[in-house]
Amino acid sequence: MERQTKICLLLLVISTIFILYALVFTIPIWLVYVISIFFIPLWILSLGLITMAKPREEDKEARVEEPFTGY
Amino acid sequence: MYLMADILINVIIAFLAGSLLLGLHRKIMARVQLRPGPPVIQYLLHSLKFFFKESSFPKTASMPFYVSIIFILAVVWIVGVIVGPVTENSLLIIFAVYAIYKIVEHNAGSSSGSPYGKMSCVRAVLSAATELPLFAAIALIYFKTGTLNISGILMYQSIHGPLISSIPLAAVMLFTLLLTKSPYSPFAITKGKDLVTGFETEHFGFLRGFLMMSESIAWYVMLWLFLVLFFGPISIIWLVIGMVLISVITGFINATTPMLNPNHSVMTQITICFVCFVGTIVMIFI
Repeated sequence: MERQTKICLLLLVISTIFILYALVFTIPIWLVYVISIFFIPLWILSLGLITMAKPREEDKEARVEEPFTGY
Repeated sequence: MYLMADILINVIIAFLAGSLLLGLHRKIMARVQLRPGPPVIQYLLHSLKFFFKESSFPKTASMPFYVSIIFILAVVWIVGVIVGPVTENSLLIIFAVYAIYKIVEHNAGSSSGSPYGKMSCVRAVLSAATELPLFAAIALIYFKTGTLNISGILMYQSIHGPLISSIPLAAVMLFTLLLTKSPYSPFAITKGKDLVTGFETEHFGFLRGFLMMSESIAWYVMLWLFLVLFFGPISIIWLVIGMVLISVITGFINATTPMLNPNHSVMTQITICFVCFVGTIVMIFI
């Protein structure tokens, strides 16, 4: 499994654990705010990085070439 | 435990409702222009669809800034949901949320390396003029109610009646802000079609979907804020009606007006702010 996918999977699992922890247990309010502000977007970001389609190897280079050189 | 559930539910509602309202806005614009337009659910479907599309990260992009700026946008508007619908907290935090939103627009444009993004980045600095109406509206609400806390403002209105009747020009200023953030607005200089899609141009695939998700949450939070600040504690039915009505009105306005050039956009907003601020001061003290 690609390195990026492994890292994203790890982040997804960590975010899910923290969100479930805040949902299930009674924790200080400030901690709920920290978990919701940081880990909800992180959950969405890591999920998206896992679900996004990957280009074929032969097309990869052409996709990231920036045509606007010199600006 | 309940607070986290409350936050999660409100974020999901904000995303779903915001997406449907933006879809409605686009539908209204199309109908005014005698086009059938996409279905109302299209914005929501696009946001979700992009999660499965290929996302290219341009070579000239400033990584990881290019990705983290979209993450910051989501963080900012989740703070908006918490401070607004969940805890009804301070308006100053909402002002800070909006200020950081401007910064995100600026940096999203500059992080990609594209000239369209860079132009949008420069225009985002100009469009900081939209913070003037927001600041002026907050100041006037404070003069009238003596508090910057949303729950305090709601309490004031439950005793003295809605602020829309006592400081209507402040509502005009906040409506101008709403108009600025609505799609295809005459004041939307950072996302003008002359810049393709401005600061969003070089954010593809999943990042675009994430960005759209944050913007639908932003639209919901701003509509909620406008309605509770000027109409007081209203029921959910009236909240929904109000949000739909505002989306329809902004759709009409955006369909029938061209985009102003950056300088005209800034001067128009400053003029509206000045006239409404002075008018409200006169109304309060006379």
